[in-house]
Amino acid sequence: MHLHLGGHLNWYDPHKRPWLTIPLVEPVALVELLGRLQVPPGQVALTVVNGRLVSLDDARVSDGDRVELYPPMGGGSR
Amino acid sequence: MAYGATGKILRVDLTRASITVEEFDQEFYRLYPGGKALAAFLLLREIKPRVDPLGPDNVLVLVNGLITGAPLSTATRFTAAAKSPLTGGYGESEAGGFWGPELKLAGFEAIVITGCAQEPVYLWVKDAQARIRDARHLWGQEPAQAQSAIRQELGDKLIRVLQIGAGGENKVRFAALTNDLRHFNGRTGMGAVMGSKNLKAIAVRGTGRYLDLAHDPQALAELGRTLAKRVKEHPQSWDLQDKGTPGLVSGLNAAGIFPTRNFRQGAFEGVDKLKWEMYQKELLTARRSCYACAVRCKREVAIDGRASEYGGPEYEAIGGFGANCGIDDLQAVAKANELCGRHTLDAISTSATVAFAMECFEHGLIGLKDTDGVELRFGNVQAMLWLVDKIAHRQGLGNLMAEGSRRAAEVIGGDAHLFAMQVKGQELPMHDPRGKVGVGFSYAISETGAEHLSAYHDTAIANPNSVTFKGAAPLGISEALPPRELSSKKVAAYALLENWSSLGKVVGFCYFGPAPRSFISIDETVSAVRAATGWDVSLEDLLRIGERATNLARVFNIREGFSRKDDTLPDRLFAPLENGALAGVALPRAEFEQAMTELYVVKGWDPDTARPTRQRLAALGIEWAADLM
Repeated sequence: MHLHLGGHLNWYDPHKRPWLTIPLVEPVALVELLGRLQVPPGQVALTVVNGRLVSLDDARVSDGDRVELYPPMGGGSR
Repeated sequence: MAYGATGKILRVDLTRASITVEEFDQEFYRLYPGGKALAAFLLLREIKPRVDPLGPDNVLVLVNGLITGAPLSTATRFTAAAKSPLTGGYGESEAGGFWGPELKLAGFEAIVITGCAQEPVYLWVKDAQARIRDARHLWGQEPAQAQSAIRQELGDKLIRVLQIGAGGENKVRFAALTNDLRHFNGRTGMGAVMGSKNLKAIAVRGTGRYLDLAHDPQALAELGRTLAKRVKEHPQSWDLQDKGTPGLVSGLNAAGIFPTRNFRQGAFEGVDKLKWEMYQKELLTARRSCYACAVRCKREVAIDGRASEYGGPEYEAIGGFGANCGIDDLQAVAKANELCGRHTLDAISTSATVAFAMECFEHGLIGLKDTDGVELRFGNVQAMLWLVDKIAHRQGLGNLMAEGSRRAAEVIGGDAHLFAMQVKGQELPMHDPRGKVGVGFSYAISETGAEHLSAYHDTAIANPNSVTFKGAAPLGISEALPPRELSSKKVAAYALLENWSSLGKVVGFCYFGPAPRSFISIDETVSAVRAATGWDVSLEDLLRIGERATNLARVFNIREGFSRKDDTLPDRLFAPLENGALAGVALPRAEFEQAMTELYVVKGWDPDTARPTRQRLAALGIEWAADLM
């Protein structure tokens, strides 16, 4: 999957990458994935999966998905 | 005893070609400690009611913030203020860069400019001395050439030049001031006021030391080192350094609040071509800083392979000349932005006025005969660049658009007023209140007309675990509130965020300095003021200073005849967005009006007249202002 850490969220990535490519062998809860990446879910205000706004808490993502995450000041929330 | 200020105001009467110095004491400065507070006080004292904003009776003031020039990141801002030729009310705009700190080091907190010179002149200020000099040879020159010429004739490359280009000389009602070619007092037409006075530039050189003025220089220097080190360790300041404001494009578009085609839409199909990743690839050549600021959020760009002398587009210009004009071409955006820099036009009002004209054209209210045959449609890059240039030189259709969208709509007639996205005559910045209602309060209530920096945006307090919410907590905001919530709690939070933002404009911190927007904690902001002044001030005291400044500006507007009916929003915002994540969402008019009524009450203003009550003004230490209304 392709993951975009928008706004200041890529600060949490050790390599400060705005885009990450993460191979997934099976679907995974996005919150769990963020835990592995050490991106605090509390900083995420907007979650976009394949162009659609979704709830971060409910989102499950699969290989091939395009996921964008934005913090409050760099976007907003619904 | 040092208290952070020089105690001196330079007074320049251009009609009489006379220069004097006014001195003030610490007691006065505690009430009006620089920036917006001192500017609003001076405007009320100096300007008679109902003067022509482009006539000799208007007064232009340039005022440093309380800590402007301190060795602290983001403490760079100065205020330009006058009666606005765009709104007819209180005009004000802050800029960073280097000019404000240089003025402080030259020994002045402010310059008050009255009257009008017979021929073009410029002002030369050096270390407590000032001279009026001939500028006939500079009039008509672009800022880059004029700056070089001034530095050369005065023999000092370190001179900082605040000036106007064609927009100001031609009195475009939304003309800006520029310093160091890249930093702008953009809003409310301060460039037109300077142009109306035949004043081309103010060149400044100061060799003083800020820390000699500070009460506790050691504490300030220590805080400066701490902040400089923190820039990369705090996600928000790091983000501003990494991407700058262009980094906002993607998220706002995803949220459905990226103004598109004159605010009809909230998401732009061409957004991928306007995003930061594209900016980095297509335009970026370097990052630059303001005075003593480690954040370095300013961008240097190359346009068609040529280095621009006027800096790169900020978010507002990308939104304004990009999506809001239906244009998905960053090079074109950078060209339009450069035209604004070169001709000293406000990029927000200019782009919004172009979008207005495009919509008028598409509705047949402007025809090909008005545009010299140019198809002034959304998405037409050449048409956009053509109109920006025409506005700067007041040629053809540009002469009408140089009046601003509200006046232009009155002349055009028909439905044109529905397409003028303005409040009090000033065009909307690129933030849609349909997705963050507090921005709607800002647009409606700001004394300068639509303004996005009157208060920190709703998104700052939307997520309880976010850096921004935690940063705002000391203000007394204990509950996270969704950006579209219109409630009494939102009103109360807005009032706090407005007072805090206003305080920033008084003390001279950039919007990107203090929390919640960026990396300087609220406690540290209080500490900075205490170290600079030696005053035993609390956060509550500082919020009161911010509130006092807003009230003085409001009194100015009341004296000019403004009332509650002027605190409104364009009808379009009460209609649904056509696309994006918030498709179908409108601002609910009745609820919004109710919230505004509550906001007046919270602010101690009469909800019927929108006037500050005598009681509130007295509580703020400015009861005298009640007698002016």
